[in-house]
Amino acid sequence: MYIQLNNIRPVYLEPEKITGSEIWNRHVKIEAGNFVEISASSGRGKSSLIHFIYGYKTDYSGSILLDDAKASQMDMRQTALLRSKKLSIVFQDLKLFNEATCMQNILVKNALTAYANEDQVNQMAERLGVKNKLNAIAGNCSYGERQRIAIIRALQQPFEYILLDEPFSHLDDQNREQAMFLIMEEAEKRKAGIILADLESSPSFPATERLKL
Amino acid sequence: MANYKDIAPFINTRGNGLSRFFGYTGLCIGTLLLLSCLQFYIDINQLLKEKNPRQNGFDFISVTREITNQNMGRDNRFTAANLEEIRSAPGVDDAAALISNQFRAKVSAGNVIPFSTDIFLEAINNSFLDTLPPNFSWQPGQTNVPIILSADFLEMYNIFAPTQGLPQISGESAASLHVQLECFGISGMQGFRSQIVALSNRINSVLVPESFLVWANKQFGQSENAPFSRIYIKTRDANAPSLLKYLDEKNYHVNKEQTRFGRIKQVLQGIIAGLSGFAVLVIALAILLFAFYLKLLISRSRDNLQLLVIIGYEPGRLGSQVSRRWVPAYAIIVLIALAGAQFLHSLFRNAIAGGNEKLDPFISIYSFTLAFIIFLICVVINAFLLRKELRKL
Repeated sequence: MYIQLNNIRPVYLEPEKITGSEIWNRHVKIEAGNFVEISASSGRGKSSLIHFIYGYKTDYSGSILLDDAKASQMDMRQTALLRSKKLSIVFQDLKLFNEATCMQNILVKNALTAYANEDQVNQMAERLGVKNKLNAIAGNCSYGERQRIAIIRALQQPFEYILLDEPFSHLDDQNREQAMFLIMEEAEKRKAGIILADLESSPSFPATERLKL
Repeated sequence: MANYKDIAPFINTRGNGLSRFFGYTGLCIGTLLLLSCLQFYIDINQLLKEKNPRQNGFDFISVTREITNQNMGRDNRFTAANLEEIRSAPGVDDAAALISNQFRAKVSAGNVIPFSTDIFLEAINNSFLDTLPPNFSWQPGQTNVPIILSADFLEMYNIFAPTQGLPQISGESAASLHVQLECFGISGMQGFRSQIVALSNRINSVLVPESFLVWANKQFGQSENAPFSRIYIKTRDANAPSLLKYLDEKNYHVNKEQTRFGRIKQVLQGIIAGLSGFAVLVIALAILLFAFYLKLLISRSRDNLQLLVIIGYEPGRLGSQVSRRWVPAYAIIVLIALAGAQFLHSLFRNAIAGGNEKLDPFISIYSFTLAFIIFLICVVINAFLLRKELRKL
């Protein structure tokens, strides 16, 4: 799946934040399977861009094409299909069910996609150091632990692109590296691309394209 | 696609037990009432069918002229023209005359029962008979004449027989009795062997085949087109106001007994229709209560449901999954109502209808069908409301 951004800009973003951007108000085509890093300081619309591509928000001008289909014109069924089969995401605010256990948070995605089994979930949790948290209530876990649970949940489905919105912000270097490695491994398995939005450019991320927002 | 159990932890179904309880109870009572109304309607029809020989959706009523002090002594019989007029009267589907014997007829039971009496014979078009055995026919030259006897006459005979030293006989035995029919005319007497081939609940008479009586009237009575005292009307509704008005205007007398059950049925149907309307209202209110409960449930679980949609769940499918949660509850409610309807039916059958064997011991297939329809309506409305609410997310 390719992603094409045609002169998009958030309707609420100040004009001075548009100027100099390599994405806003530009024609950008992200080819299938690319590893793309988008960096910008706070308030320049990184989360907005991720939400626009995911179809979560539509308050922008211009258009986004996902394999020839206009993101803003998809109906509920098409959007649901896109989110369960082609696009995965790790939200900056994680969007976990805080009153449910970490395992329930992960399995609810698995129940939808039937992609992985509980053993595979356990293996991933072990690799990211949160296996002992799987039966804990998500709301009671630290932000870093919840971030890793959100990453594991995002990997419980087929995808052609995974959107990462500051996914490692509360992880130490070691955990960050392990999480990054797991995501890249899973993306390669699926021959999928990664769009990573972060505050600063990360030299450890083997990006094929680096864009300033 | 996920099952309800996978998303159950994210849906808040706690609380509001009272509104759920009232919803379930209301639905159960409403369904029970509606099923009982339908079953009662079926039972009443079954019981009245036995009393009122209605056939293929028609009532058959006998009409005579009202005998008053003013017309007493005159010839109050109907003419062929009267018959034609009645045929074209409002509410009348067909009419036929009961022709009677224009000669003296006598019947004796032979040696088995020492019984002999003068008798009147009547005949009517076969299509007006409630029971028509295949051997109820007569050809000239045939010495055997089949008779259809009024069931009331047999009952009357059985009342008076013991006081006269005669044996009482059952309907089955009556059919095996051979009697001697004697017809007297100016040319002399002719005897026929006769047998009761059926009992009629509709026509109070001694009926012989029309072909026999036409022949016998000509042969013994020298009369072919004599007027007739009774006319039978075939109508879809013996209680139709237009028909009753016409008969009143003509001073024709209708046997009240024959339309009485129709009137009772009409009153009962009115009561049943009223109760059914009330039952439908109760069911509608119960469903409305559920609708409020579902709205509340969606609003309580709104954040979680929104999250499910964000991670890829389709609102329409989510609605179907959530609504499936209530399928067992609806099934149990309808089964309880069915059991209640069966209990009331048994109570009616044993206590009120005196264990009437004409009533089936179990509730009708129509009651089961109605129960299933109510169940489907609840499930479909539930799913529709949930999908509608979830699409708003």
